[in-house]
Amino acid sequence: MDPLATDFPRTTRRGFLRLAAASASLGALAELRALPAAATSAVGETSGRFFDTTETEILTQIAERMVDSGQAAAPRLRATGAIATIDRTCRQLDPALTSLLPTALRLFEYGPFLFDWTFRRFTQLSDAEKDASLTGWMTSRFELRRLAFWALRNLSILGYYSQEESWPLIGYAGPLVRSPRPAT
Amino acid sequence: MIEKLLERGGDLVESADVCVIGSGAGGAVAAAELAVGGRSVVLLEQGHYWTRADFTQREDEMLPRLFEEAGMRQTADGAYTILQGRNVGGSTVHNLCYAFRAPEPILRIWREEHGLSELTAEALAPSFQRVEKNLRVKQILESELNALNRIIRTGAQRLGYSGFVARHNREGCIGAGYCILGCSYDAKQSMLITYVPRASAAGARIYANARAERIEAEGGRVRRVLGSVVDHDGRPRGSLEVKAKVVVLAAGAVASPDLLLRSELANGSGQVGKNLHLHPSVMLVGFMEEPVHAYRGIPQSYYIDQFIDLEKDPHRGYILMPITGFPVLTGANLPGFGRAHFAHMAKFSRMVGLLALLHDRSAGSVESGRSLAKPRIAYRMEEGDRGQLSESLVHIAKVLFAGGAKSVLAPYWRDPLELGPGEDLSVLEQRGVQEGEIGLASTHPQSTCRMGADSRASVVNAWGESHEVPGLFLADMSVFPTSLGAPPQLTTAALADRTASHILARWPEFAA
Repeated sequence: MDPLATDFPRTTRRGFLRLAAASASLGALAELRALPAAATSAVGETSGRFFDTTETEILTQIAERMVDSGQAAAPRLRATGAIATIDRTCRQLDPALTSLLPTALRLFEYGPFLFDWTFRRFTQLSDAEKDASLTGWMTSRFELRRLAFWALRNLSILGYYSQEESWPLIGYAGPLVRSPRPAT
Repeated sequence: MIEKLLERGGDLVESADVCVIGSGAGGAVAAAELAVGGRSVVLLEQGHYWTRADFTQREDEMLPRLFEEAGMRQTADGAYTILQGRNVGGSTVHNLCYAFRAPEPILRIWREEHGLSELTAEALAPSFQRVEKNLRVKQILESELNALNRIIRTGAQRLGYSGFVARHNREGCIGAGYCILGCSYDAKQSMLITYVPRASAAGARIYANARAERIEAEGGRVRRVLGSVVDHDGRPRGSLEVKAKVVVLAAGAVASPDLLLRSELANGSGQVGKNLHLHPSVMLVGFMEEPVHAYRGIPQSYYIDQFIDLEKDPHRGYILMPITGFPVLTGANLPGFGRAHFAHMAKFSRMVGLLALLHDRSAGSVESGRSLAKPRIAYRMEEGDRGQLSESLVHIAKVLFAGGAKSVLAPYWRDPLELGPGEDLSVLEQRGVQEGEIGLASTHPQSTCRMGADSRASVVNAWGESHEVPGLFLADMSVFPTSLGAPPQLTTAALADRTASHILARWPEFAA
């Protein structure tokens, strides 16, 4: 079952306005620009999930475009532990940094409607349309939109390029010591 | 004895002759020398005690373990990423081992412009010699230069640029290349495996997960340190109190002024937290024809000093240094997303990086923030500094091309610029370096509690002692009166050694 079809709140103008207003708080996401330097640690592991099912699906579809390589040999993001790594990272960061991420994801989901007047959600777009939507965030004249873009881009890079499956694609030979990975 | 308070649980109540706060290049040296000199010492480190077995060479695991704010520390405007250690051993656990003495022209400025007449090369030599011996500083051998450093040296030599292979504090290095993620082989002679064990062997009680939050004075003398036992995320798990006759604050140029400001101590001059220098750096990426795997081998050993002549002008200049990274950090520093981003990532094994590190005059500040974990750091380059760093982009590109790069990428966030051989490089200087337009970083914040003879214009005297609070010393990079203009590890350690000698010599006075 498509979680997006069931879990999303009913779309109303007021709902959009509330989401748009929430974006004013995205300044806190500025610090997430450096997120790749902040990843998971086996110490302090907490249980549960940071993102709910709906948010996870939006995040996954954003991350897929962020790290899309166009290479047939590239491991599919869904087939790796990338999203679990991002989720674990967010659980372990200061809530002041991460509490707006779910709102940001929903803004990305409704971005095509809010900013492009396309009556479809991000997750309903084709790959090319998703890239165009993301480009809109990256090049926006509004700093908060750009900051949100970089936060999610860097989370995606963290998730994907910390996975061993991605390393052959870029010619990275990987660590010389072996250690058990934290559970995802 | 090195104790992880998080694992022990409960509160900490201690007393000692000396309480040292911070276990990096300054604190570890001070603690060891004071303990060896017969003083009872308690060393507090807010970070965790990680050892080689914990150093997994994986970015997603090591960066949160070894860096302040999990590597996310930034200036308030987000323009500069500031990397500082947060673990037993401090930044020496993740640094890249350049071992330089303080340049004589800088010492001259400190003497002539800051009244520190005692700080001559001769006077500091015994401290430098001790530190170099204990850190096993030696010349990097020709055979130890990795592909990255050989490429950069070739480029510099073809251009006639001045450069040299530096000295490092390494012993038995196998050239794995993961220095910035902690040395899994205990080859890096960081404080973690040198001065911290030396302190412990001499009887110092060393506590990890111990965050100092307030220094209290009584009757004009320092008396005790209060704080918390904290977990890996900085959440309090217990309280701590250490009574001491002397406190040596060595928490780094961000945390030290923050702690003094919170304690409302030693700031009659109003200089605590002022005069922040960052040694700001900017990087370009070169793409070679064939894979070079620049991340393997000793990351930084060659050092281009063509653009800094401290004898001629001790207030300006920049150094060029090779730099490399692993997939996540490299990816984060490249522009774009999706296939445009991958077009660069696909060349990861062929990438070589070269950065310019600026001997800056710009002065920022550190103020206490809303939470203990997040001081507010403000810094903006003045135009003279900006001009130098913008100019450096041209020279970086020249070296990369002369070293054999087939293209050079200036990773501007919004509109990256990739140039080929023979293209006009002046466009780089024209685009220049603007905060928020291109990645800027600092690994050397300094000067926020500067030394000086004039108590109205400085925080501590030539021995690192507060002008106002007897028995309160500072022993980290915060005491540098100006930007050092060179990698600071040895100078920090040597000044701490000197401070410890001074405390030992004056001990009867403190004990009274």
